[in-house]
Amino acid sequence: MTGPMLAQEMGLSRRLMPVPAFPMPGLLIGGSIGLMLVAVLGLIGAGLIQEHVTPTQRLLAPGTLGHPLGTDQLGRDVLARTLGGFRWSLAVVVPATAIAAFVGTLLGLAAAANRGWTRTILESVTESAAGFPFFVLAAPIIGLAGRGYWPLLMVLGIVSSAPFAIAVFESTWRGRYPMGLTRALHAVWRALPAVGAFMVADLVVAEVCLSFLGAGAPASAPSWGNMLADARQSVAAAPWMLYVPATALLLTVVSANWFGEGLGQLWGPGPG
Amino acid sequence: MDEVRVQFPDARGRWVPRLDGISFAVERGEALGIVGEPGSGKTLVALSVLGLIPPPGHVSGSIRLLGHELVGLVEPEWWRVRGRDVAMVFADARYSLNPVRTVGSQIEEAVDRHYEGFPHGMTRRWVRERALEALAEAGVARPRVRFRDYPHQLVGDLRQRVMIALAGANRPPLYVADEPTAGITDPVRAQVMLHMLRRLLNAAALVLMTRDPAIAAAVCKRVAVIHAGRVVETGPADLIVTAPRHPYTAELLDAAPRTSATAINPIRPGCAFAARCPNAIEQCRRLRPPLEPLDGRQVACWNPWGETA
Amino acid sequence: MAGAALVKLVSVEGPPREEDGYGLAAHIGKRLAYRAIQLAAVLLTATTLSFILVRLSASPAALLAGAGATPAQVRSAHLAYGLDGPILRQYLTFLVRALRLDFGQSPVHQAVALELVRQRLPATLALTAVVLVVTGLVAVSVGVWLGLRAGRPEHGWAFRLLLTGQSLPALALGLVLFHVFGLTPASAVGSPLRFTLAVLTLAWWLVPRSARFTAGTVAGAARQSWVLTARAMGATSRELLWGHVLPNSLLAALALVGVQVAFLLSAAVVVEWLFGWPGVGELLAGSLHTGDFPVVEATVFVLAVLVFAVYAAVDLTLAAADPRLRRTPSPAGV
Repeated sequence: MTGPMLAQEMGLSRRLMPVPAFPMPGLLIGGSIGLMLVAVLGLIGAGLIQEHVTPTQRLLAPGTLGHPLGTDQLGRDVLARTLGGFRWSLAVVVPATAIAAFVGTLLGLAAAANRGWTRTILESVTESAAGFPFFVLAAPIIGLAGRGYWPLLMVLGIVSSAPFAIAVFESTWRGRYPMGLTRALHAVWRALPAVGAFMVADLVVAEVCLSFLGAGAPASAPSWGNMLADARQSVAAAPWMLYVPATALLLTVVSANWFGEGLGQLWGPGPG
Repeated sequence: MDEVRVQFPDARGRWVPRLDGISFAVERGEALGIVGEPGSGKTLVALSVLGLIPPPGHVSGSIRLLGHELVGLVEPEWWRVRGRDVAMVFADARYSLNPVRTVGSQIEEAVDRHYEGFPHGMTRRWVRERALEALAEAGVARPRVRFRDYPHQLVGDLRQRVMIALAGANRPPLYVADEPTAGITDPVRAQVMLHMLRRLLNAAALVLMTRDPAIAAAVCKRVAVIHAGRVVETGPADLIVTAPRHPYTAELLDAAPRTSATAINPIRPGCAFAARCPNAIEQCRRLRPPLEPLDGRQVACWNPWGETA
Repeated sequence: MAGAALVKLVSVEGPPREEDGYGLAAHIGKRLAYRAIQLAAVLLTATTLSFILVRLSASPAALLAGAGATPAQVRSAHLAYGLDGPILRQYLTFLVRALRLDFGQSPVHQAVALELVRQRLPATLALTAVVLVVTGLVAVSVGVWLGLRAGRPEHGWAFRLLLTGQSLPALALGLVLFHVFGLTPASAVGSPLRFTLAVLTLAWWLVPRSARFTAGTVAGAARQSWVLTARAMGATSRELLWGHVLPNSLLAALALVGVQVAFLLSAAVVVEWLFGWPGVGELLAGSLHTGDFPVVEATVFVLAVLVFAVYAAVDLTLAAADPRLRRTPSPAGV
């Protein structure tokens, strides 16, 4: 493996790191529980309406009647909005991951099945995409295309396909003799979920950051990024505006990372 | 070595001996060959002399070198023994040398480490001269040029000579060579390699591990054949190679057919070779045969090869 | 005696040695060309993509001039970008302008866009450099400690700890620090406190990944055969670590630095914005808010060049440091 390909692995294809000698089952179990919790909270959030703007009740502290976790600067209930954030994040990130997985798999299979110039070009394209600062590319694109669900989804999906391409390529490339289609698909099936879990974690964070910068979710959407941006203005007066969505974010990311790492150890390539 | 036993715990925590009752002695100027198939335990013999048996392995018995007992030494004590009193020449040097350092620097490192008490001013130059000397003694042509080479720039048997040079850097009294011709395909070069090893005998003792009895016979006066961690035949090399008495030795020399290949299970009672042995009798499966003198060598067999019934 | 003659006869000279210099230069040339092509491809894609998006928007000229531009500025943008002519000509104009590094004027700052970026670059570079140094020291120490204990129980909980720590996004941590240290968006801009917190936030994000990766390379290096050889020659644990394990594992980890820089620049956009550090990242974030297109374009361009320059530099360092990468012709029989 050349130096640059080796470099891709950091943070992008973590499953390729040598697996610790002691398998850690707690990761997979903990991660799964966390993710299920996230999904449940997302479903709850889907059923709530969060847009009650009530200026008379702005900046109420947690524990107030009717607003267990307080309200924000526009009087919106923080708990309801955070739960809505679960739904929003899942609604953006899950399809985006699916798109990225799809595009990435095609690229990876194409690279593994071809030789010579085709492969070199595909490899270098994937490598440049993976190695390029994500934000510097994503933020301006959304800035140009406008805020909203669909631009966010498309940008996140397409820009994140590189790690999938790399993972698929690594697991289906056998040098001279490419594997048959069924074996390849089986290898892909094993390779994708761990990468997918890490990707979900990364995309949740990416969506939050983009929305925080104002280049992601529309202003009214219950994205945690929007909530954090609001929190920044009023954090001294209303710290709950920061800590509630931050905790929700942490829960989601930890669960996804643990799940991905646990799965990677289970189905991974084995000790280095 | 005297009744040396090396044990490892298996999956259930029971101790399984991978070497059992190994005893031999070798003197300066002598070469002893240890012959056996892969997995027979010959590498463990080498590792135990150097204290490199990986944990959780356990070594018991006695290994004496220059009058010092080696079994039971702790790691810091081993640092003085390895490379100075005994040195190992590894098989197939392809990955046995650090690829990002020059060959010369690795030999210098070995010299530097063990030479204490040398006048400070001369140390660097003396170390370099000694390393170059070691390369020359190992038959490396143009040692000053090779000194600055990296391992990947060297051909197979040149690398092997560098390994010999490395081992000989401090002129140890005992060399342990594990499959020294492993990376060499050309038979002429293999012969040259064996000649290099014979030259070592001028000042030191040599224990040579190999799977080919002919190689052992080419270099060594005496040979010990190992199977499943036990010595099954030992004695003068030319005698054993021309007229083997243990069925396993005969098999190694292609003089006897194989009946079947089974996994080695040292816990089973009786002779470990019984399942594969064409000479096996009922007693072989029940009792482990001891080493007994026969025909000028020692054999551990109830029904030795070449005997009429 | 016959043996000695045999030795001389078969004395192996080794392969004919080509001068190291030739092999190295060719290798470096190829890597640099490769990086240059990648950079060109990325810039081309970015430019084309932005052209498409601009063209698809409601009023391209207004967009190109930047929000808040006067009607006069919008009209001049209209002319400068040739928005009257055929599409292909517009595209070419777009490309040519980018090639000439002409990104126009920022209506918000009333200055040439590229100049603005250039002025802010040192601040970002300073931040990045400090973070890299801090990360390097911490991650390598932790990674070595972790890698050497690969089979043992401590590895388990340390690993879990790192993984969890990595899961706290820089943004969240930054905001928490913001709150804890009582900062408001307006207070103490550019102060050492803000710088330290920004470094801390970025390092927090980068250290766990790097530590885990270093642990992997160290664990891998410790298992290599040459380490056993050195040990068999009596090397102490310290000699093994510093002489054989670290050089090889750090070499592998070096390849990581390029990717780290790319990620850092990405995260810096958010962190600089959060802590008000006057670097390129803050400029980009601010320009997205105000719709200052020329500045956005210029920033992306400069950052792309910077990233690939770093990759190229890492390639060069690797080539110089790793003897195996200098492609002298492989000797026969190897």
